[in-house]
Amino acid sequence: MPRVLSFLLLVALLFVTISSEALFCEVFAQKPALAQNGAAPASPVKLTLPMKDGSVRFAAIGDTGTGGKGQQQIADMMIRYWQVFPFEFVLMMGDNMYGGESPKDFVEKFSGVYKPLLDNKVKFYAALGNHDLALQANYEHFNMNGKEYYRFKKGNVAFYALNSTYMDQKQVKWLQEQLALDTSEWKVCFLHHAPYSSAKSHGSDEELRKVVEPIFVRHGVNLVLTGHDHVYERIKPQNGIYYFVSGAAGKLRKGDIKRSSPLTDKAFDTDLHFMLFEVVDDQLYFQTISRTGETIDTGVMARQKAKK
Amino acid sequence: MSVSLAVVLSLLITGAQVSTSDKQTIATFEKRVKEYVKLRNQVKEKLPTKVSKDSTPEQIHAYMTSFEDAVRAARAGAKRGELFVPEVATYIRNVLRDDFKGRDKVELRKTILQAETAGVAVRVNYPYPEQKEFTEMPPTLLLKLPQLPQELRYRFVGTNLLLVDRENNVIVDYMPNALP
Repeated sequence: MPRVLSFLLLVALLFVTISSEALFCEVFAQKPALAQNGAAPASPVKLTLPMKDGSVRFAAIGDTGTGGKGQQQIADMMIRYWQVFPFEFVLMMGDNMYGGESPKDFVEKFSGVYKPLLDNKVKFYAALGNHDLALQANYEHFNMNGKEYYRFKKGNVAFYALNSTYMDQKQVKWLQEQLALDTSEWKVCFLHHAPYSSAKSHGSDEELRKVVEPIFVRHGVNLVLTGHDHVYERIKPQNGIYYFVSGAAGKLRKGDIKRSSPLTDKAFDTDLHFMLFEVVDDQLYFQTISRTGETIDTGVMARQKAKK
Repeated sequence: MSVSLAVVLSLLITGAQVSTSDKQTIATFEKRVKEYVKLRNQVKEKLPTKVSKDSTPEQIHAYMTSFEDAVRAARAGAKRGELFVPEVATYIRNVLRDDFKGRDKVELRKTILQAETAGVAVRVNYPYPEQKEFTEMPPTLLLKLPQLPQELRYRFVGTNLLLVDRENNVIVDYMPNALP
């Protein structure tokens, strides 16, 4: 009997060693431990990200602020993935709070929902959506420094939060000037409305696109993350830029994707989801995960060559 | 302003040549906007609560509600058309009419009119309800309308064009049937 146990242990060890090298591996979440409220079940989560030393790791969520069961379930799944992929921060693509912004709402729609992550020093960086009041920019946990549009940098990646509900001349000028000075290897913009989307409800925001896309192209923006449509969509690269619609981390519009859209590389509209990213030098790895923990999309994108 | 931005903006504002009389109209509007901003900033200075870049929800809520109450009291008796005076309203209606001419704007108009802003009571010196969404202002249109200081925002509710304070959410003025 001990021989059998030893053999099984050896096989298990071998499996873990091999699978940790593979791109698509099963990881049994144990560490790092959560500060509190993090009694995650021990069932495996499937991580497709490489977990390289020194990489930039973050999550992205859009259209979260319902305070409902679905938002909480996504938050719970994020926590489980954080245990095996300890992302440093989370981007929020707007609609952070639906239907009221009293102190109670802030707890029910944000700080209470993501408490285990906040307790473990995971930072949230918010963009404003059409349901968000401007004063959210002053909220301590949104890290907006009182600004409705702002930039921050992590490793070799610069992040730009934009206010797409009110893209006025001042913001356009700011974006243009900041990007022109930016020598970061990766430039990521996150905003609420989607310049490209195949959803029936809103779809591509062409007025916004007319203004921001020439700036994105001109200044080598690599990745654009948006919400507003309550679906997931990986858009075929447009003018060399990677676009994602990820607006279902709290609200879902089932069946909202136009199936024959020429924009779509991958779409998912049957459940809520969130996204994980890892930037390793010139590679951007991503994984999109549903409420049940299913990986609905994953891949790696190469950094686009800078225009001369 | 860099060359590329100038190109983007000029392409978007093509045809929007501003005549001398329009310049005067815009100056009138800007003067009234400045007067409002001066008043609200004086009110803001005296508020018992402030917000910083890392405020709690309680601080934000207290600031917003006290600011709303104070600015409404300071503007008691404010009437529609005090900022959107008739010549300004005419100018803005013309800008909107020209901007919404094209066939490509049919969808945009529909989007604005179908926004979930039903139930927003459009009344001067009353707050825009925080439970209601804001309709996205088309960026191409914002480049054509008279520029506002950071304290104020244009907003659409149905066909009405509103001026709303960014922080206290009070409807400062509005134009009915602004959208063609």
